[in-house]
Amino acid sequence: MSVKEEAKNLLGKGMDGVLFYQMKDGSAIPHLFTSKDIDEMPDVREIPDSERYPLSDILSKLLMRFSSAKFGIVARGCDERAIIELEKHQQIDTSRVSLIGFACSPELAKICSCSKPYTESLADEMNEAQEISRGIESVERMSTPARLGFWLSNFSVCVKCMGCRNICPLCFCKECSLQDEDLVESGVLPPSIPTFHLLRAIDMAGRCVMCGLCEEACPAGIPLRTLYGKVSEIVREELGYVPGTRGVKSPLEELGSSVGSDDDLKS
Amino acid sequence: MASDENVLLQDLTPIRIVAFLCNWCSYAGADLAGVSRLSYPANVVTIRVMCSGTVSPYHVLKAFQSGADGVLITGCHIGDCHYLKGNYMTYKRFQVIQGLLQFVGIEPERFRLEWISASEGEKFAETVRDFTEEVGKLGESPLADEREAAKSREALMRRF
Repeated sequence: MSVKEEAKNLLGKGMDGVLFYQMKDGSAIPHLFTSKDIDEMPDVREIPDSERYPLSDILSKLLMRFSSAKFGIVARGCDERAIIELEKHQQIDTSRVSLIGFACSPELAKICSCSKPYTESLADEMNEAQEISRGIESVERMSTPARLGFWLSNFSVCVKCMGCRNICPLCFCKECSLQDEDLVESGVLPPSIPTFHLLRAIDMAGRCVMCGLCEEACPAGIPLRTLYGKVSEIVREELGYVPGTRGVKSPLEELGSSVGSDDDLKS
Repeated sequence: MASDENVLLQDLTPIRIVAFLCNWCSYAGADLAGVSRLSYPANVVTIRVMCSGTVSPYHVLKAFQSGADGVLITGCHIGDCHYLKGNYMTYKRFQVIQGLLQFVGIEPERFRLEWISASEGEKFAETVRDFTEEVGKLGESPLADEREAAKSREALMRRF
């Protein structure tokens, strides 16, 4: 069954709209399809790989604006992970959301270095995801001073456009640490490095769903996926948490006695 | 007499360490170290917080950005937290911050977490001695150069 038919089904079942992309002048833009224009909904293969938006973030705002409406969403793997993570942060009420999943093209999965470019509903049909490098190893092979040099030179071209934060589906805070005068001096370029980027990296710990939109949005080409990928790796290895999976909340968000497997805790 | 001079010289080394002390255990431990007249290097700037769990990663990053060569967090032993589980949070955050610092090329030895109870004055003095020595060996924070660079960049920007 095509995505359009599934979307029509949802609208027939009382959903108020289905969120997906609309093709306009050759570009994809996010659009909420209703029963009026559902026939114009493009097929997933018509959407260019390079044109992605944080649909989960748009969905979250739609749900807040229309407090009793129900929405469907045609989602990629990363959109679904973001929705799950946003629900844990009380940003999305999934009881009012129906998800139609699709898998990204293998080319896009490779560009994104995505290990799960499909939604949970498709997990059985897909091949086992392979472990994908995000450039973490090549940074780790450098000596300590070389690593600092690598990151400082990358950070120093930051123009503080806030694109990484604005596009991020998990950046929903009303008060942002990046705009805190005490942490990041305003009116100076590049912003306080490396603090500016490390603040965001710390905030991505236990949240980042590896959609890679930040790196795509960055006009300075900072390898943010590598940085946040490493933070996610630490959280996974030390605290045993993978953002975007169903079940418990991030241990960094909850005051609990689970601290991972480390034995030297009591020393 | 000569040894006294050495102690003074050691105290004057430019290593700067920011230490966050939890109000209920470590601050009392540091107080005990003082009352017991134990000597430890004066490179440490202590900040008293209500719980080590209130030390945000932001504070640690800000300390490094502002010129700290090392950051020490001390809190109650696991199980002894005045707020029951505050120090579990400290430990979780500590792991993430230390891993991140290492990844971006700041020596992880510059950031340390110790559990020090109110009765462990000697442990506090020993921790500070040991940490100061370790950070002293690493020398000034590698971010010091970056601060200089930022200043000259700023001066350059103001000329235009």
